[in-house]
Amino acid sequence: MMKSFLRATVAASLVTAGAAGAWAGEIKVGSVAGVTGPIAELVVPIVAGRNLAVKHVNEQGGLLDGDTMKMALVDSQCDPKAGVDAGNKVVNVEQVVAIVGASCSGATNGMVQSVTIPAGVVALSDSATAPSISELKDNDLVFRVAPSDAYQGAALAKLAIDAGFKTLAVTYSNDDYNAGIAEVFAKTYQELGGTLAGNQMHEPNKASYRSELATLARGGAEALAIFAYYGGSGITIIRNSLENDLFGKFMAADGMFDASVLEQIGADTLRGNIFITQSASDYGDSSYKAFADAFTAAGYDPVSPYAAHGYDAAFLIALAIEKAGAADRGKISAALRAVAGPPGTVIRPGEWAKAKAVLAGGGDVNYEGASGNVDFDSNGDVSGIYSVNTVGDDGKWSTKLIE
Amino acid sequence: MDQAYGIFLYIISLLTMGGIYAILALGLNIQFGFTGLFNAGIAGFFVVGAYVSAILTTAPSARHLGGYELPVVVGLVAAMVVSGAIGWIVGRVCIRLRADYLAIATIGIAEILRLILKNETWATNGARGVSMVPKPFETLPEPWNQLGLMALVLSIVAVLYFLLERARTAPWGRVMSAIRENEPAARAAGKNVEAFRIQAFVTGCAVMGLAGGLTAHYLKFIDPNAAEPVTATFLVFVMLIIGGSGNNKGAILGAMLIWTVWSATELVTSRILPDDWAIRSAYMRVFLIGLVLQIVLQRFPGGILPERRLRVAKDKKRYN
Amino acid sequence: MMDFINFHLMPGIILGSIYALGGIGISMTFGILRFANFAHGETMTLGAYFAFTLIQLTGWHPIAVLPFAMILTAVVALGIDRVFYKPFRARPAIMLVIASFGMMLMIRSAIQFSWGVQLKSLMPGIQRPYILFDALRISPKHMLIIGSALVLMLAVHVLLSRTKIGKAMRAMADSPELARLTGIDTEMVIRATWVVGASLAAAAGVLLAIDTHVETMMGFKLLLPVFAAAILGGIGRPYGAMAGGLIIGIAEELSSYAWIGNEPLLAPGYKAGVAFAIMVAMLIWRPSGLFRGKVF
Repeated sequence: MMKSFLRATVAASLVTAGAAGAWAGEIKVGSVAGVTGPIAELVVPIVAGRNLAVKHVNEQGGLLDGDTMKMALVDSQCDPKAGVDAGNKVVNVEQVVAIVGASCSGATNGMVQSVTIPAGVVALSDSATAPSISELKDNDLVFRVAPSDAYQGAALAKLAIDAGFKTLAVTYSNDDYNAGIAEVFAKTYQELGGTLAGNQMHEPNKASYRSELATLARGGAEALAIFAYYGGSGITIIRNSLENDLFGKFMAADGMFDASVLEQIGADTLRGNIFITQSASDYGDSSYKAFADAFTAAGYDPVSPYAAHGYDAAFLIALAIEKAGAADRGKISAALRAVAGPPGTVIRPGEWAKAKAVLAGGGDVNYEGASGNVDFDSNGDVSGIYSVNTVGDDGKWSTKLIE
Repeated sequence: MDQAYGIFLYIISLLTMGGIYAILALGLNIQFGFTGLFNAGIAGFFVVGAYVSAILTTAPSARHLGGYELPVVVGLVAAMVVSGAIGWIVGRVCIRLRADYLAIATIGIAEILRLILKNETWATNGARGVSMVPKPFETLPEPWNQLGLMALVLSIVAVLYFLLERARTAPWGRVMSAIRENEPAARAAGKNVEAFRIQAFVTGCAVMGLAGGLTAHYLKFIDPNAAEPVTATFLVFVMLIIGGSGNNKGAILGAMLIWTVWSATELVTSRILPDDWAIRSAYMRVFLIGLVLQIVLQRFPGGILPERRLRVAKDKKRYN
Repeated sequence: MMDFINFHLMPGIILGSIYALGGIGISMTFGILRFANFAHGETMTLGAYFAFTLIQLTGWHPIAVLPFAMILTAVVALGIDRVFYKPFRARPAIMLVIASFGMMLMIRSAIQFSWGVQLKSLMPGIQRPYILFDALRISPKHMLIIGSALVLMLAVHVLLSRTKIGKAMRAMADSPELARLTGIDTEMVIRATWVVGASLAAAAGVLLAIDTHVETMMGFKLLLPVFAAAILGGIGRPYGAMAGGLIIGIAEELSSYAWIGNEPLLAPGYKAGVAFAIMVAMLIWRPSGLFRGKVF
């Protein structure tokens, strides 16, 4: 038994070692995502966004001297244990230049603190929004294209006041993402003069929320602010509310921004009765349009939380490698700041060949992404821009930038 | 060269996390392997230990209770004490339950513990977790920081192994296997079966709390998702059963082996399967791990290193 | 008062009927095969996905495809039993528990692999409830759920009390040794148990999907409440599981009713804990359950 175990171990390590070496002319970037686990359904379009950026890069000349950009996808399961393990794999075995990810704030927090900051590798998350990530002593190695919860909650609160809602009820799912946004929303909304007629946490993944909603509805609120993932509890909450006439109007943040909300509830029912903020631009913006059209052509729906951010994150890392002039971990952080913000020629999603030409000529580029201008502040965060989504006449989400 | 060094670092990380799982498996071995107590709530005792050690050792934060900045050693000891104390309370009321019933009760208790950690935001920062937990040796340069932590974890594994082997062959351990094999006989011999069972349960829970504490320091972060039952409970059972339940060496070997398979298969599947399948290969990997488990269970029911029976218990029927 | 009935009691009854259907299977496999089947939640999920595919193919109403989804799920369960559980019949029960843990992972990943992880719906759109006597609200699909659950429970009753195989199942749940001595074909009974348990699990999954939607973790989320229902009713007691399911479902919903003052009695964040707390309390004080089930 022992002998065959040893043989198996040796064989396994040979496979691992043999397979690990990057092919000549291939530059690897880590793609860490919660592929399995509680937000599996949200991660599929995010990873597709990342992969679309890689496709654009490779189709338009590749990285540096025509090297292929390759994403090494590992699963962070939305669990900090798995996040650290995933970080170790991409940093040490896959020998990636930089990392896009991880998805959940918890997995990101573990991965960057335990692995990537000590190893000196840049991690650029496309969907971790916890404010605690801004506070890390990160040697400028942790970046996010997803704006911190602190911004979106406030944006939605202003929107609620502008829409004329004087009293609101809030229900939020008890997870690392939604609890954060709800807290900021409740605070800002009250500061702006709104009244909260109820503010309740709920446990996600239950089959019914009728009793919670009945309690909230007693407060006489004009609308319900839902902070939840659409699959975990959001759709069930809207359905339970409408079916029982508990709430008729809803607002939500981008955990709810998905086409399946309309498919499941019905566009006609929701038209005029719901708005959802999303931290990305609208079709009037040529960056967003470029991304959304390409994403649609690739067979995906741009109406998915953080898909645009996934694209921007992967594209930015590619630009940073090109700017650094080498697949060198140590140079990515500075290069990333250089390509993300002004000055420089404006580059939009899909314009890899143009960016490559400018950089080759010694010029500067300034990437303006589908999710916003992606100019990083001193914490490596973006301030974020927000669109509001309502139900359009065509039965689809209609996106409009909030000025 | 870089490649070899990278794999060296990855092996360190495998041994560190594998070592933490070995501690969990040793804890479970006291309960399940020696005494036959089916604790399916490992995740609960694990995550309580993690939070206790994290809160006691971190710097002040407005987000959660704490700011005590105690040394890591104090945090780890406190993790053992608190997990052990909860184990004692649970043991007091549940210990008479037989195998599967105890399993279901402990799953329920672990879920309740997780709900408390998620809902009592003032103490734990709720679902958003405790961040910036100190990590031993983190100020040393690479690779010494990682080697240091690995050495710490592995020496804890070694000390535990030594102590548990002593306990197993000592009269205490013989009483334990006697209770497991033939409870009426042990009772007839005048042994206080309940008291012995509670001792085993509490010791095991304290060891699980220690593993939790180490995890919080290793990850530098802890949140309720770390108590996800598949990776925090189920995987430990798989490790112990495949390694050899009742055998301390088996527990350690099983933990290291299964953790390596769990972690490293991803490096293989992502290569064998075509790019379009990248996401699907993650689902496939879990399927394959389940399948391997089934095959091992059917072919090697005693595990890789089956329990070595002590002479006193040579012809009794297996635990049922 | 009507609020209490409409928003707390009725959802409790609907949820409870779903728990009850799931609980029967858990209780029977636990009583007859003597192990806690952790893959039971995934069996429910599988039933819902079969129904989804059948609706895609035929365009029928979810209730019309329900029998076919139940049959397909039962066939899969028989296959799984043959390949993965049968080799452990003579072995300690813990091996079966671990095998079912492995099965849980395998079925779930197979579903994720074949159907993907995006949400699916059996009945899109919303349904306004009928309003009876000016106050009682019940929507058509909820009548359908409660009605189907009642029909299925009645069918189980007829099977167990009127048919030979049903009587053999009850005998074996009471005492496997005695059943064997009286010449009951135990393998036959085991297969019948899987068919009944899996098809009811599939029904529970489909009914839950009618109320909400289809997704890959839906069954796993039901697993612990369903265990709680089986324990509460008493292991090996199908009628107990029905009662247990209803009690757990209602208790969960009533826990957040404002019994005292205007605040929910228990913060809704703890709602999921109600089932576990009832389960642990039962195990400690009355492990045989309400219906004097087996205690191994």
